[in-house]
Amino acid sequence: MVSSILPLLLLAVPLAAAVAVAVAPSGPTSSKFVEIVHVASISAVGVLALLVVGRTMAGDDVTALGNWLYVDPLAAIFVSLIGIVGFLTGLYALGYVRHEVAHGELTPAKHKIFYGFFNLFVFTMLLAVTSNNIVMMWVAVEATTLGSAFLVGLYGKRSSLEAAWKYVIICTVGVAFGLYGTILTFSNGAEVLAAPGGAIYWTTLAANAKLLDPTLVKIAFVFVLIGFGTKAGLFPMHAWLPDAHSEAPSPVSALLSGVLLKCALFVIIRYHVITMQAVGPEFSQSLLLTLGFLSVAVSAFLVYVQHDLKRKLAYHSVEHLGLIVLGLGIGGPLGIGAALLHAINHSFCKALLFCGSGNVLIKYGTRDLKSVKGLLRVAPVSGLLMMAGALALAGFPPFNIFVSEFLIFSAGVQEGHWGLMIVTALLFTITVAALIHIVSGSVLGKAPDTMVKGDVGPSMLVPMAGLLVLVLVMGVAVPQPVSRLIQQATAVVIGGDRTVPLAAPWQHPAPVAEIVAPARAEPRS
Amino acid sequence: MSGFQIVNGLAGLLIVTSLLVIIARRPTRSAMFYALQSLVLVGVFVTLAGTVGSHELYAWAATSFVTKVVLVPVMMVRMFGRLDDPKLGSGERISPAVSVLLAAVVVVLCFAVVSGVALPAVAAIKPALAVSLAHFFLGLAAIVTQRNILKQVFGYCLMENGSHLTLALLAAKAPELVEVGIATDAVFAVVIMAVLATQIHRTFGTLDADQLTTLKG
Repeated sequence: MVSSILPLLLLAVPLAAAVAVAVAPSGPTSSKFVEIVHVASISAVGVLALLVVGRTMAGDDVTALGNWLYVDPLAAIFVSLIGIVGFLTGLYALGYVRHEVAHGELTPAKHKIFYGFFNLFVFTMLLAVTSNNIVMMWVAVEATTLGSAFLVGLYGKRSSLEAAWKYVIICTVGVAFGLYGTILTFSNGAEVLAAPGGAIYWTTLAANAKLLDPTLVKIAFVFVLIGFGTKAGLFPMHAWLPDAHSEAPSPVSALLSGVLLKCALFVIIRYHVITMQAVGPEFSQSLLLTLGFLSVAVSAFLVYVQHDLKRKLAYHSVEHLGLIVLGLGIGGPLGIGAALLHAINHSFCKALLFCGSGNVLIKYGTRDLKSVKGLLRVAPVSGLLMMAGALALAGFPPFNIFVSEFLIFSAGVQEGHWGLMIVTALLFTITVAALIHIVSGSVLGKAPDTMVKGDVGPSMLVPMAGLLVLVLVMGVAVPQPVSRLIQQATAVVIGGDRTVPLAAPWQHPAPVAEIVAPARAEPRS
Repeated sequence: MSGFQIVNGLAGLLIVTSLLVIIARRPTRSAMFYALQSLVLVGVFVTLAGTVGSHELYAWAATSFVTKVVLVPVMMVRMFGRLDDPKLGSGERISPAVSVLLAAVVVVLCFAVVSGVALPAVAAIKPALAVSLAHFFLGLAAIVTQRNILKQVFGYCLMENGSHLTLALLAAKAPELVEVGIATDAVFAVVIMAVLATQIHRTFGTLDADQLTTLKG
């Protein structure tokens, strides 16, 4: 572990940007200033995130503020997601929000509110994934809800306020369960550790997990799974998700689905590690397996019957988060690695599609798939990007979702879950049908005659193209550094000696990286 | 009477006050009962601090007093006082009598659960521990059984008080910063819920959760 100023800078930049935007005077001249601050902030966050990740991959877990902030390879995955997807959706937001303000959908005052809360939201997510202090981790997850509530309700319409209310109530109540789980874990640690103060740090708890009271660990994990599972959008706590994702402005939907859900997932993985160390893998794995499978099963049908584009995509998020959790539940080096890879892949792909749904909204003024026809003729580039995104999400090669889905299914088969994998695969064919429906009906098809042809501006298309490039790069082959980072992260979850390199089915796997067991604080008893 | 007995007795009072919060007819009245309940909670913290000799708990009691007895109730009275929905009435899905009965069932269940905990440190304060758990679930029940969205905010506050008490009982020596973080989040949560409720009241002209039915499927 090395102490570094990087995590502090990473957190300070978006927070400072949020404050700068908040105190900026409102008016047309300041809107330029607000946009400059925003772009500077998301660019700096992107660069700093990659620097922190690079540092971690070089073999040093980075800490700051004593032990309060901690970035190991597991956290690094999520830091990089926030950095990259935050940057691209943040760029996309420039064109999107300008359009909404110009067409009176948003008042100029909302312009400022949007960028202020966007940066605050990025800050809270970064805090959640860099916290080593488990109570601060909880505080940060709760703060992500509070920071994004106004973004969800930004349009101020009846439907968006309703969505914001459900989002805040369901998530704060859900996350209150997370607080209970956190408290139980902390008190458990404080009882048994020689230095009770250490029980607040995840690193100490994970290193001393064998000392913890097994019953309390189990109860705490159930609370944590309900609590942060609500935030991750797992069935049956997912009720807020389709409303919030569909009512939020599209760049925010992209951030919610692409990144926020994964931050909650990250916290679950942290507790999964403690629970596996304390009581063995069966308990938490079977819970994850059940919840993951149920999420996939229920959302597959909900995806199919939806006609609202953004709600359809939102239910897809429930399904894919379910699949990630299923992968974690399958366990083993391949299951964990594939789940982490799927978290990355889904993030890029879903951000692309939610940005695309913004283009659809701008062109058609509706999300109703019955009215959206012929996007490829009306807006060719948007149409192509949407088509690629939909095919990617459906799991066709050479796009990235195929690779990680394939690896999760292989892991399941390897661990002997034949029946479960066959049923899951069948369920996924339902959603493939739903996505083909988007492509055949809305991207292709005959455009309404009244429709004005012409695409949205390049300021919105270029970030989407960037996301598509990521989707393709990750689909053609798992890049070496990504494969290595995931191996290192898997080592954090299940120990260093059992990791396997991840590779697409047609790719020569990278040589097994030399993984050092995670350097945690020495057990103190 | 030992300190732990006082703690257990005060914990019993918490259940009474939370029932008052739930069955009060006007949200502003609920806010006052919430302040009263938080005062009882502060009493528990102080007693516990004296009994187990924890400096940290005294600091908690101070922050809790500032945030939960003064700040949050004052904000609630000011912000909720402006919002009214005469058509909604009490907005209860179940009658107060049933609420009380339900609370009793929850408390009994929580006593049964807590009696299974074998940690020696909690032997003397098991009733209080059961109450803290019951409090958490009472808050959840309040959210489900109230149609008035302002009353749902109180449900969240009760859940938060419940988990706070659990933390104090199980880990009396947690660093103060922990408690400051939790308290700050709770204050912001209430502010944001109140702002959203105000916007909803302005746009929908109602505080009835059952009227929020635009989004389906």
